[in-house]
Amino acid sequence: MHEYAVVSELINALLPQAETIEGRIVGVILKKGELRILSDQALANAFELLAEGTPFEGARLIVELVSVSVSCSSCGYEGAVDHVSDEVFHFAVPILSCPKCQSKVDVQAGRELFVDRLSVQTPAETDSR
Amino acid sequence: MHNVQVNGEDILKRQLELAEANRRLLEEKRVVAVSVMGAIGSGKTSLIERMIDRLAGQGLHVGTIAADSAGDDDHQRFLSHGADSINLNTQDDCHLDAHTVDHAMEHLPMDKLDILFIENVGNLICPADFPLGTANEMVVISTTEGDDMVRKHPKIFAQTDILVLNKIDLADAVGMDPQRVVSDYSRINPHGKAVLTDARHEKGIDDLLEALGFECTNTQ
Repeated sequence: MHEYAVVSELINALLPQAETIEGRIVGVILKKGELRILSDQALANAFELLAEGTPFEGARLIVELVSVSVSCSSCGYEGAVDHVSDEVFHFAVPILSCPKCQSKVDVQAGRELFVDRLSVQTPAETDSR
Repeated sequence: MHNVQVNGEDILKRQLELAEANRRLLEEKRVVAVSVMGAIGSGKTSLIERMIDRLAGQGLHVGTIAADSAGDDDHQRFLSHGADSINLNTQDDCHLDAHTVDHAMEHLPMDKLDILFIENVGNLICPADFPLGTANEMVVISTTEGDDMVRKHPKIFAQTDILVLNKIDLADAVGMDPQRVVSDYSRINPHGKAVLTDARHEKGIDDLLEALGFECTNTQ
């Protein structure tokens, strides 16, 4: 339940840039690594509340998942991993092991959490629709 | 509508930097730190007590950071086993973070310590997102929680290389199958080591110390 803290940090970090943007911010696109244990729904709820009174008010927080990517020092493999996706686990769980040689791997992606871009609508864009 | 790029700095970057700073300090002081995560009531404290006894018996100096929402029961238990301990009340926080651990270490005799156990708040979700900078991590669950714990919290087990299934003596009494836990774990974490323990009766403690990379040759 640290979604509120995360979103609060996110909004504060973006405020200086947001205040210079011409137009209305309609979306904040957040990249979230597959290994992060943060609830998308809780992030969206926190955003809705914490955005009030800021340039983000009324915007949607859109979470885009970043898949796990690894590098293997044994065979040199770089790329995606296999997942356990049977019904026992209800959702796909990344296996942190080399899909080629089954060695231990270094995680290169899948733990990130950052705002990638803002979706902005200017008055001109609204008129031209 | 158009897109505006932003600087893309990781929101938890500061946490990662602090964890890295802890890792450097621990290396410099030659302290092997173990982050002990796990469910409430799974036996984290009892396991640490047993490990303190074994390691102290070999002349090693053990420190502990006892984190709980409130109270100092675990801290007192560690002190009674001869550890240098710091009590940390996280109050409404559900996990420790690297910053808190950094401050706790300021109050420990880091130059003297060989090993530092950091007992996290009982929780199988949030601690996995907050690295502390320790060399080792372990997750403790117990048989009384049922044999479906790995399935219910797969992400923490997929990322943690030691799983301890404690209270193994009670498995039959509560009708759970330890093998189900071990096999679920090996599927989502093929490199993980599952260790079965009974902290109360001091079973499996040497296996756990071995999994953590501590040699225990002259115990008992």
